[in-house]
Amino acid sequence: MISLIGFSALCLSSIFSCIVLIPKSILQIKIKYFLFFIRSSTFLVCLSFLSLIFAYVTSDFSNFNVFQNSHSEKPLIYKITGAWGNHEGSILLWVCMISIYGFIYSLLSKSLDSFKILVLKIQSSLFIIFCFFIIFTSNPFLVNSVIVEEGLGLNPILQDPALAIHPPMLYLGYVGFSLVFSLAIASLLKTESDQMWVLETQKWSIISWGFLTAGIALGSYWAYYELGWGGWWFWDPVENISLMPWIAGLALVHSLLMIKGEQAIQRWIVFLSILCFSLSILGTFLVRSGILTSVHSFAADASRGLFILLIFFVTTGFGFLVFLIKSPTKKNDLNLLLINKTSALIINNILMMIAVLTILIGTIYPIIIEVLTNTRISVGGPYFNSTVLPILLPGFLLMSVAPVLSWQTNKIKKFRVYVICFLILSLIITIQSYLTTFNPWGLIGLLLGSWIIVGSLISVILRYKFSFTSKYIKSINSFTAHIGVGVMIIGVTYSSVYQKEFNFNMQIGDEITIENQLLKFDEIKIVDQENYQSLRAVFSLINNNGIISYIDPGKNYYPVSKMITTEAGIYHAWLKDIYITLGSETDNQWFIKVYINPLVSFIWIGVFIMIFASIVAVIKK
Amino acid sequence: MNRAVLITPLMVLTTICLFFLIFILLGKNPNDPPSALLNKSLPIFSSTNLYDNDDTLLSDSLKGNYTLINFFASWCTPCRAEHHLFFKIQKEIPELFILGFSHKDDLGDSKKYLEEEGNPYSFVGIDRDGKIAFDFGVFGLPETFIINKDGEIIFKHTGPLTKKIIDDEISILF
Repeated sequence: MISLIGFSALCLSSIFSCIVLIPKSILQIKIKYFLFFIRSSTFLVCLSFLSLIFAYVTSDFSNFNVFQNSHSEKPLIYKITGAWGNHEGSILLWVCMISIYGFIYSLLSKSLDSFKILVLKIQSSLFIIFCFFIIFTSNPFLVNSVIVEEGLGLNPILQDPALAIHPPMLYLGYVGFSLVFSLAIASLLKTESDQMWVLETQKWSIISWGFLTAGIALGSYWAYYELGWGGWWFWDPVENISLMPWIAGLALVHSLLMIKGEQAIQRWIVFLSILCFSLSILGTFLVRSGILTSVHSFAADASRGLFILLIFFVTTGFGFLVFLIKSPTKKNDLNLLLINKTSALIINNILMMIAVLTILIGTIYPIIIEVLTNTRISVGGPYFNSTVLPILLPGFLLMSVAPVLSWQTNKIKKFRVYVICFLILSLIITIQSYLTTFNPWGLIGLLLGSWIIVGSLISVILRYKFSFTSKYIKSINSFTAHIGVGVMIIGVTYSSVYQKEFNFNMQIGDEITIENQLLKFDEIKIVDQENYQSLRAVFSLINNNGIISYIDPGKNYYPVSKMITTEAGIYHAWLKDIYITLGSETDNQWFIKVYINPLVSFIWIGVFIMIFASIVAVIKK
Repeated sequence: MNRAVLITPLMVLTTICLFFLIFILLGKNPNDPPSALLNKSLPIFSSTNLYDNDDTLLSDSLKGNYTLINFFASWCTPCRAEHHLFFKIQKEIPELFILGFSHKDDLGDSKKYLEEEGNPYSFVGIDRDGKIAFDFGVFGLPETFIINKDGEIIFKHTGPLTKKIIDDEISILF
């Protein structure tokens, strides 16, 4: 019953969206009714998604999707998140978000009515395309042909709080770019010379970028403690394809700043907007079609690949075609000086585009090679580390001073202060790294990271008078964001360059000393949880003052799906994480891997600062 | 900017899509992740014979022979689907020792299942609590492993076997 409601709501919602698309020449719809149809469509698609959630919550196994992905003994929270823990449900969530973005846009936009209608029409077309994809290839409301009393369960790897909100966050980011896309296409098709769309693009691209950042960070954090590989970024294809729209989005956000210098480089902005959304669909396509092997392969299904490929080709192709035919003709004379803000932003954009291209090539290279030569290769961390990082380095160097550069002139105020501070900082850091373990990458990363922080702080102090007002926070916002990046760079550098790895075989009662701290293997605990059985090795971490903390790495066994997941035990401290994973047991000897990950917390702090800055930037508008 | 530059994105897009299209049409499936256990030694276990309580099989005794290990249960419908294929394997590769594990199943049900479907196994071991399957990292039933003479896992398949898999992947091992 509930499946029927959900499916009808979905169909009705796409019909409403179709009505909206009827050209003016055939049927003149008043703006009032136009908005009514748009909003009802959103309401209906949300109803559809809610009925899917309802089917999950009530464990309605007459729904095939629920039967395949849920189990009555699962905790409530994972019943709810199970709704998007599978292909069909997550695409429904995706469609729902396309519609919601359109809905919110229709409420908030201050553009002319004609422009608004154009944007909403494009947004509706995207909505309809994905609706058809659901209805014809991935219907979550199929009826189960067998009568069963129990479901097959959700992949245990997905039963995790961080992962429960990771897909919605990521999708909010990906799908947000659909609105940016619609705005860009509408700006090409429109007849009025209204410039409102630039401001709107700015707002929506920051929102999407913020969500994408949060989504990627959550996924990364989850990988850090769930996969048990000791790291937080693996250049996994799926990570790469989320990174591409992220970088392109970053380029877009920065290009939009050039309007402040009254040099709207419209063509470039439109191009980036289209690119961001097409990279988002590319990401969805690659994950959903199962073309790339990755930790996300549980979500894969090759048979739907063709359909999404078609969507990807049609949408992106349409975007670029409009871009080709209706390209803005307005001449802009860029005020390019050696080191003014415009030049800095253009350098930043070029670097980011090269980075996107490099990642794109690395990600799809295995596919091209397999098609051409029928051999399977995989492109991994070493390629990306040695290509992408050097591309980004000059950009990082520029970041600290970029916000203080002037639009019109070639001069930086108090240039000498920066130079002196930079030299002092370099000296300190060189000595520091010479006295400790010297590593060239460590030195560069630390220098750049701290320079971004120090440089930004100097700029803030020199340029703005401190006060505890929201105005002050808003005006230093770009520096705040950059400080976040600096903090993250330090975290990334330290945790990757100075990570230490130890292997032990330990018996219960054994003690080992790691970096002046004693690690004692206390016991093995086996506990029956609600939906799994957990095995935990309990370690106590002891220093001179006694026990600091307990660390309990282990494994979970999920009887429903008969799967074992590794759970890393992590002791978080500000300066280092002690990260333990439990291996197998032979003759009462447990194999144990201990990682010392310095400054990992800086990565998450940096991300928080960046998200904070994007929130401030949105409120500012 | 001239048109040549503007047309580049379209051309790049078409090229990429073309490669994806060929890739999908060729039916490549990179989603058979090689098992983490592949090329590793088989886990240590001991198991009682379903038909004889006094007969115990130790993992060490499997060495020196090629062994196929199959986890099945009477409640597992896909197991029924693949079951007849083990007779085919038995016939084609007679030197193969076929070991079946009755996984988390009632012993009576298992016996009844083998009566109905026939018993292709050289030895049927009991894995009542699923501990052996746990050590093998079994993901879901049915699951099949092949062990070489040195006791290393050389093949693993999750889900029911098919004729194609037997011809393409199993037969070539011998």
